[in-house]
Amino acid sequence: MSLPEGKKMNKQRSKAYQVRIDKALATPRLQQALHQFGDAYLIAREKAFAGLDFEALRQEIGAMKDDVRLNHEKYLQQFIANAQAAGATVYQAATAEDANRYIADLAKQQGVKLSVKSKSMASEETHLNKALEAAGITPLETDLGEWILQLSGQRPSHMVMPAIHMFKEEVAELFSRETGRTEVADIPHLVEVARQQLRQGYLDADMGISGANIAIAETGGIALVTNEGNARLTTTLPKTHVALVGIDKLVPTLEDAAKVIRVLPKNATGQALTSYVTWIRGAIPGGDGEKDLHIVLLDNGRSRLAEDEKCCDTSRCIRCGACANVCPVYQSVGGHVFGHIYIGAVGIILTAFFHGLDNAAELVKACIGCRSCVAVCPANIDLEGIILSLRETIADKEGLGVGKSLVFRKVMRNRKLFHSLLRAASKLQKPVTRGQRSIRHLPHFFSSLTEWRTLPAIADRPLRDIWPGQNLQAPQKKVALFGGCANDFLYPELGSDLVEVMNHLNVVVDYPQKQNCCGVPALYSGDKETAVELAKQNIDALLEGNPDAVLTTCPTCTMALQRDFVEHFKDDSPWRAKAEKLASITVDAAGYIVNQLGAADQFADLPLAQKVTYHDSCHLKRGAGVWREPRQLIETSGHQLVEMDHADRCCGFGGSYSLTSHPDIARKILEDKLQDIEKSGADCVAMDCPGCMMQMRGGLEKQESRVRVTHTIELLAAGLRAK
Amino acid sequence: MESMTQFRVAAEAAGAVLVECQHLVEAVTFIAERAAGDLLLPGSVSCHRVRLAEQLRGAGLNMLPVTRDQAAEAAAGVTSACFAIADTGTLVLESTAEDVRLATTLPTRHFVLLDRRKIVADGLAAVEPLRRMHQQNPRNYIAYITGPSRTADIERVLTIGVHGPKELYILLLDDWSEDLLEM
Repeated sequence: MSLPEGKKMNKQRSKAYQVRIDKALATPRLQQALHQFGDAYLIAREKAFAGLDFEALRQEIGAMKDDVRLNHEKYLQQFIANAQAAGATVYQAATAEDANRYIADLAKQQGVKLSVKSKSMASEETHLNKALEAAGITPLETDLGEWILQLSGQRPSHMVMPAIHMFKEEVAELFSRETGRTEVADIPHLVEVARQQLRQGYLDADMGISGANIAIAETGGIALVTNEGNARLTTTLPKTHVALVGIDKLVPTLEDAAKVIRVLPKNATGQALTSYVTWIRGAIPGGDGEKDLHIVLLDNGRSRLAEDEKCCDTSRCIRCGACANVCPVYQSVGGHVFGHIYIGAVGIILTAFFHGLDNAAELVKACIGCRSCVAVCPANIDLEGIILSLRETIADKEGLGVGKSLVFRKVMRNRKLFHSLLRAASKLQKPVTRGQRSIRHLPHFFSSLTEWRTLPAIADRPLRDIWPGQNLQAPQKKVALFGGCANDFLYPELGSDLVEVMNHLNVVVDYPQKQNCCGVPALYSGDKETAVELAKQNIDALLEGNPDAVLTTCPTCTMALQRDFVEHFKDDSPWRAKAEKLASITVDAAGYIVNQLGAADQFADLPLAQKVTYHDSCHLKRGAGVWREPRQLIETSGHQLVEMDHADRCCGFGGSYSLTSHPDIARKILEDKLQDIEKSGADCVAMDCPGCMMQMRGGLEKQESRVRVTHTIELLAAGLRAK
Repeated sequence: MESMTQFRVAAEAAGAVLVECQHLVEAVTFIAERAAGDLLLPGSVSCHRVRLAEQLRGAGLNMLPVTRDQAAEAAAGVTSACFAIADTGTLVLESTAEDVRLATTLPTRHFVLLDRRKIVADGLAAVEPLRRMHQQNPRNYIAYITGPSRTADIERVLTIGVHGPKELYILLLDDWSEDLLEM
């Protein structure tokens, strides 16, 4: 991975990226199209998987692809030997240039003038069309979406639906230019135009170029999963067939191929199966003799990806594109912004390895970390975790920036300094807070931050200074609260409420004073060193009193304690044991009440019943796997629970994402969330994350909405107080 | 669900038209009514066995030689299917011979004759016959066909019939062929 020298270039790159974000955000029609697609996709996908155990299917695919990765040479040689035995010519291309040169040379040798292509992301990856044109060969894209893009000189904005960003009027204009007639913007008509225009191409072309969705070691054959029928024509009519195949498409057997095919279309578009699955093995009859089949096996960074300790799981990817379909960032800015050639979450990782880290650097930061991609990945890849590790790699190479470096390394690691600065800030903010709990307007340079949401003021006194004394006679449990920065310094009353709720259950709560920030802001910015130092401080602080459980009110902190700390020390045995111990007793407050204490009914029928809708915080639902528990508490305590649409879609907070790195995208994602909240008709939106509270309360206050924002624990405490 | 019912539901959901035939003559009549032009009838053991070409000709249909030049002029292709897959409504066609590929890709309509007994449960159950097809024909081109050709590439609007057949008719027969590998 190479990066250009100098911070100046990085700054230019960031600036150019921001321009593209601004442009995309100013195209509401694109956002609307992607949102509609996202909604329709989820419904179709659920229907397609009805009666199947998605979790089991993806475990199976993950394990199968891991076997291929670990025994890659064996399967590759098996594939090559079987393909050659069936009369195919196999070429192993180390790089994109290598693949392009082979195909262009072959075309020149055979005197090819026109080459028809069916859709191949690998050929987009290598920029094959440019190489063919340079060699005097005309490449003709025959997939409808790809042809539209070829006519307009664009690149795909989605892996499965390449022209998803375009509208029928634009297509009609392109087609009119091509046919010399006026083609109306009617979709069936435009599809018919494509059929007529491209038909002669198949008959005239001397070479057909396809990709492959699967390469089967057992047979030396490939499988193509398509809908339009152009791949069948492309691989049938021209004398020569070239298949450009990424080496990560290998599977051992026909059964494994069948398993991929069972999942791929369902997860890609919600189709039970595509119109066509085409199995091609070797040089088959064609014309007067047999066809000339060339299989170009493309590496171009795939081996390096497979060998990368942190990113290797990405080799499992079957290229369904689902990670984009559900991504709130993709839905806000589209694949031309949130992607290079490959788009969406997996696209970020593939870009780093296939097109260089520099091309991935901005994309890596544009991920908001909501894990919606992880939830739908059919190959069980922890995309968010891998993107985080890439962020670390980039920060190591490019540096964190002076500001972050100072805050993380000099301030946060020194807890006393960090906390005294926060206390000082609570005094210094007075001119902007005017004594209120929310900041409605920030002055000058920072004013854009409060254009679309208020920000919480730093509390006069943090939770650690107002920790309530508790007089329980014989508490059934003794727990510690890990507050996290937001609960401690922004929302101390949430901590007092937790104490009230726990005391009601005869549980005593301690607040270990030496606890510090969970380290996520540093980790998510790529500063692992600071995150590790903070983890050590927290492990010692929290285990000191030997609590029965460590409770959290912030799911991002929960993930840090449960997952990240263990990951940090996996090769450091004394710390590892302590981290594992902490992880095993860490639990979010709602989960603790419902699952561990079995005490939901202790809150039955509290007063102050209202209409409540629930927002699933990303890291609570898709990190800790908790979503039923808070709903159970809300309903048991007498409230009417009304579900909003997209309850588990990110609110756009993402920590520094909404504050410094991508406030514009965060604002757009928040707008979607606020619409869903208002539409639900609820008086109150409950959640279990102070970050989400900051984002949604900020947005609703700015809109002067009547809907209130509350933590589930605050809702329970208010009920108890009114009893 | 019984596999025939499951196959019907899935195939219809994918846009195929299923036609129940008691006797072959009903299938021939149906093809004659719907072909709307010349036919392509690629070589096939099962079609040959019942002299399908003669019967189609008897119903007034004209068959073109299945060559590259002529195939593009035909209105419909008529083929058998090796077997079908119930859960996705898929037809499996051994398409190694070029005439089968021409007849099933270029014309607007595709008529497929399928024996009701030749339906396997799902894609995994299809692997066993698929593997035997590979053994029988070491160089091969095997097509899974589910409904007509489709695209959603313009504004995600599902549109039928882009490059391949716009209409897919599945003619269900008894006593047509029992061999999962026979076309």
